[in-house]
Amino acid sequence: MSRLEAKKPSLCKSEPLTSERVRATLLVLKGIVASCYGPSGRLKQLHNGLGGSVCTTSQSSALLANLSVTHPILKILTTSVQNHVSCFSDCGLFTAILCCNLIENVQRLDLTPTTLIKLNKHLLNLCTSYLQSEVCGCRIPVDFSSTQILLCLVRSVLTSKPACMLTRKEVDHISTLILRAFLLTIPENAGDHISLGSSIIVPLKGQRVVDSTVLPGILIELSEIRLMKILPVKKSDSLKVALFRVSLSGDLSDTGEGSVVVSYGVSLENAVLDQLLNLGRQLVSDHVDLVLCQKVIHPSLKQFLGVHRVLAIDRVGAALMEPLSKVTATVCSLLLCNRNGTAWDELKLTCQTALHVLQLTIKEPCVLLGGGCTETHLAAYIRHKTFSDPESILKGSGCTSTELQLITEAFCTALESLTGSLEHDGGEILTDMKYGHFWSVQADSPSDVNWPDLLTRCGCGLHNSREELSWSFLRTARHPFAPRPCLPHEAVGSANNLTLDCFTAKLSGLQVAVETANLILDLSYVIEDKN
Amino acid sequence: MAAGGPVQAALQVAQALETILSGCVGPEGRQVLCTKPTGEVLLSRDGGRLLAALHLEHPLARVMVACVSSHLRKTGDGAKTFIIFLCHLLRGLHAATDKEKDSLISKHSHTQGRHWKTCCRWKFISQALLRFQTQVLDRVVDQCLSRHFLSIFSSSTKGRRLCRSSFQLLLEAYFGGRVGRNNHSFISQLMCDYFFQCMACESGCEEVSELVDDCFVELNIGVTGLPVSDSRILAGLVLHRDFSVYCPADGDIRIAFVTETIQPLFSSSGSEFILNSEAQFQTSQFWIMERTKAIMKSLQSQNVKLLLSSVKQPDLVIYYAGLNGISVVECLSSEEMSLIQRIIGLSPFVLPQASSQYEISSAALVKFCKPLILRSKRYVHLGLISTCSFIPHCMVLCAPVQGLVEQHEGALHGAFKMLRQLFKDLDLSYTTQTSGQNYTSSPLIYKNRESNQLPEIVSGSIQRPPQGTVEKNEGELAKTHTYLKVHSNLVVPSVGSETCISCSTPKVIPADTHQTDETRRCLSANKTRIIDDRDSFIESDPTTESTAENTRVEASYENLSITKMAGKGSMLPVRCKPLEMGASQSYSFSSIPAGCVLPVGGNFEILLHYYLLNYVKKCQQSEAAMVGMIIANALLGIPRILYKSRKGNRSFPQVYVRALHVLQTNQPMGSSQTGLESVSGKYQLLTSVLHCLAKILTIDLVISIKRQPQEIYDQESEEEL
Repeated sequence: MSRLEAKKPSLCKSEPLTSERVRATLLVLKGIVASCYGPSGRLKQLHNGLGGSVCTTSQSSALLANLSVTHPILKILTTSVQNHVSCFSDCGLFTAILCCNLIENVQRLDLTPTTLIKLNKHLLNLCTSYLQSEVCGCRIPVDFSSTQILLCLVRSVLTSKPACMLTRKEVDHISTLILRAFLLTIPENAGDHISLGSSIIVPLKGQRVVDSTVLPGILIELSEIRLMKILPVKKSDSLKVALFRVSLSGDLSDTGEGSVVVSYGVSLENAVLDQLLNLGRQLVSDHVDLVLCQKVIHPSLKQFLGVHRVLAIDRVGAALMEPLSKVTATVCSLLLCNRNGTAWDELKLTCQTALHVLQLTIKEPCVLLGGGCTETHLAAYIRHKTFSDPESILKGSGCTSTELQLITEAFCTALESLTGSLEHDGGEILTDMKYGHFWSVQADSPSDVNWPDLLTRCGCGLHNSREELSWSFLRTARHPFAPRPCLPHEAVGSANNLTLDCFTAKLSGLQVAVETANLILDLSYVIEDKN
Repeated sequence: MAAGGPVQAALQVAQALETILSGCVGPEGRQVLCTKPTGEVLLSRDGGRLLAALHLEHPLARVMVACVSSHLRKTGDGAKTFIIFLCHLLRGLHAATDKEKDSLISKHSHTQGRHWKTCCRWKFISQALLRFQTQVLDRVVDQCLSRHFLSIFSSSTKGRRLCRSSFQLLLEAYFGGRVGRNNHSFISQLMCDYFFQCMACESGCEEVSELVDDCFVELNIGVTGLPVSDSRILAGLVLHRDFSVYCPADGDIRIAFVTETIQPLFSSSGSEFILNSEAQFQTSQFWIMERTKAIMKSLQSQNVKLLLSSVKQPDLVIYYAGLNGISVVECLSSEEMSLIQRIIGLSPFVLPQASSQYEISSAALVKFCKPLILRSKRYVHLGLISTCSFIPHCMVLCAPVQGLVEQHEGALHGAFKMLRQLFKDLDLSYTTQTSGQNYTSSPLIYKNRESNQLPEIVSGSIQRPPQGTVEKNEGELAKTHTYLKVHSNLVVPSVGSETCISCSTPKVIPADTHQTDETRRCLSANKTRIIDDRDSFIESDPTTESTAENTRVEASYENLSITKMAGKGSMLPVRCKPLEMGASQSYSFSSIPAGCVLPVGGNFEILLHYYLLNYVKKCQQSEAAMVGMIIANALLGIPRILYKSRKGNRSFPQVYVRALHVLQTNQPMGSSQTGLESVSGKYQLLTSVLHCLAKILTIDLVISIKRQPQEIYDQESEEEL
């Protein structure tokens, strides 16, 4: 019976964004996510006073899953980021910071929400169409004939997660393993429709990271005693396997809605066991070496099989059944080691992210420049575009060019200050005036030195400081310029240690960030159900 | 109840609600964020949802919310307008009665007596409101407003056809008020594409809107975490579950339906199965297995490649299905089953009890059947071949958060509801029982603007000939129709009237009473004017003249419409109403014909306002005049909000004055805004609000009960038992 209870009236607040408390909480959230961003990001220790394990992380998925957010506006923001992460695994922090930045910057402008949202949307369209166009200057096509770019991509994912606590050597080792594991999941003779296999991550906690390895096939846990028994069984190179999805426990199946009357002295259990043993005899005579069952095998049958030197493993579980049923195709096990539980959890998440990113890259074979270069380049492009051709954007929108300028500034600053979050040690951020890439200088550098001596490589590693470039501080005003695209051969030339980002994940992250910001800016009331 | 009576209390409540909802009205409206006690968040601009989320305690507020939701269930639109309009009506009533208060007080000095007196007075007003609606409003809409109606249909020789550009304008305006402003054009485009892709033939729009409204949940999939722009339309039907077995198959796939388990069971309900020996048990099991195997084999031999089951099938069935290359989908909901049956017109096959023949009597084909993976969730994707006028398509709705997906789902569902209403005629309670003579004296209607310029004018007037001549006239009608069809795409929905035909040449004839700018341009090029010269027409008709005393003229008088204009861009078509060859001779129920629309931006309100003012001027009864005045003024509340942010030439007073001028000088109404809205929806809203107001006014006392609400049993049904 449903409970009948009078409902309490809801609480209704107008113009939520203007409230000081909301702004303050948004700032706190931004502070948390921004400080985690990038390879030198600070770690967060999530600690539940009521128990459970302590989690040290800098990843958005772990962070947001544990953070208890109460304000509805923040909840919209965090769920939107979490949903993005569950689709793409990567670029969660990027999305969260960009969204916070946008809300913060745009809100300062004294413009109507209609104008803000309309122009934000226009600028987003500019970004997405540029990133997807052939002339895009921050996109590199992936060459699948060599592993270089894919390896860089995996390495970039690993280095951006400092809570994995990996040394440079370990990063290299794990990146290679991940790429190998991924390649093992690609079927060799693929038809028109390729379906990738799966890689199962097996935990080996407390061992050295470099002991991690990748094996083709599936690992099933067995007790040591039974393992000893099996070893001499190995007769030939291949084993004959029988796989059961149904229970072999001898349960009676569904007998229908009526009743079944059993006469005295008739034992159905015996009857069923007889059948099971018949099955066992059949298996033995078919020379099956290994019997796997998802559910339970009757002990008598197990014993019977054991006597006949057939290895029987039951309770495999539904999770392993799918990869098992295509065991001959493309499954591999990634045995992952790390020093302690916390770091292992983080490493596992990171490996899953990297594998997912590789899958996404196969579908859309290109990558974006990482290390902040895509963002600064994009900001330069947008600035140039709205400066040189404002009419095409404003056409039919009913907005003025001043409004466009204001929004452009807010939008581009949001992108640029996002890259500023990569720098956590008080360094300065610069951008060059040719490619629009991202450069950082260490803190306390002498100010009278020549820039090329102080700077080495740009964020993504594509350009070095000897290229006759001119620089400008990111936070100072610059004259808009059209950023030059990088040439493919340049990319290939220095492809060994590029920092790269997943194209699909970043593009979607950008869209989600702007859409969510627009959504939040559009709120006129918040109705809180207090029941 | 307070001294101010229900009006003052209700006004306070309505004003509070208006403040919240008016922020969401129109294309400039903003969003509201609602949290649920479970922690979920919902984004909405949907008035109905917002009102529900407020959990209002005030008794009058609850009455209003109940009225709004019952209106929404029917029409799917108009919750915000409802509250705003109600609020303005209450304001008007309050102001009107305030003036009379002093006199009331002087007359009745006993407070108790005064209370009842006021309540009594409210009751009269409430009755006057309802009377006004049926007697005056319906007539005004039917006789005056109707000449401004546009139609969503363009008519051709083959009957009505949904006009895509008008349809798009209609949806754009609808979604402009329902979803976030950065998504509304995208969503309306999606919906427009969806509708046209689903429509098998051009006359099927009614069926499509009904089916999608009924089965909306089954026809869309929400995906979170992706940008809204990733939303798309998929051809075929997507079931919200995975295959139990999937066997890839090419070409056309034969499917079978079952509603019971294929594997025979030991005993069926109400029977007993007696086991006497272990051997008997084993044999029975063996028999069950063999029979299951045989059934699945026979399905395979009949080329069935896909089995849809509403129940869970035993492992054995799944196993044999896999062996025989039959894909299986289990546990289909009854809604899904009925939707599929509606689309392909196939009923489940029944397993024969004894025979070994498992012939499937009815079979259907699907073009494809494959798994669909959306955000790591697996679905079944079927390319059903439709036998009705609905070609199955699904919408994948993407958004960063669930709350936004729900908003879009809600808006789309509402849009289909709105269309469903739009594609139907809305009957008005106003019935005409007039003779020809009465007609001529009708005060409000038909300015007989004649144009003798060109014979490109057709005025279709329907009138019922005297009984004795029915047959003859019908014969003529048939003749007339053929005549016209031969020559042009002109449709004359008039009962055979020779005068009419003689003054019209079967050329492409635009008959329009009012146009948007666009159409006006087209029309002026052809130098056409529209006439509604019923009066002269009736007078010139010999049959009517001769029998003027004892004949009643049917009042359906829909004008024919012609839309195709050679070489001139898209235009808004005019309505074309199918003839009602009613059995009744003397009565005609007037109605708002299917597909009638008006431009958005308060056009409906301003027009109705204008005609009501006209009525009030001529009205003799003071009570009706007062009610008319209040309604007329309250109507302006909506356009006032819509034009709130506009300045200068586009501000509300300017727009209003221009519109009145245009109406007074009989010029066609232009509209500054693109977009259309359903007339019947608007009118239904108006009547719902009046009913709600009447309900509020009749309450004289609110009794508050402080007790847990009790479950109400349906006593009647118990008695029947």
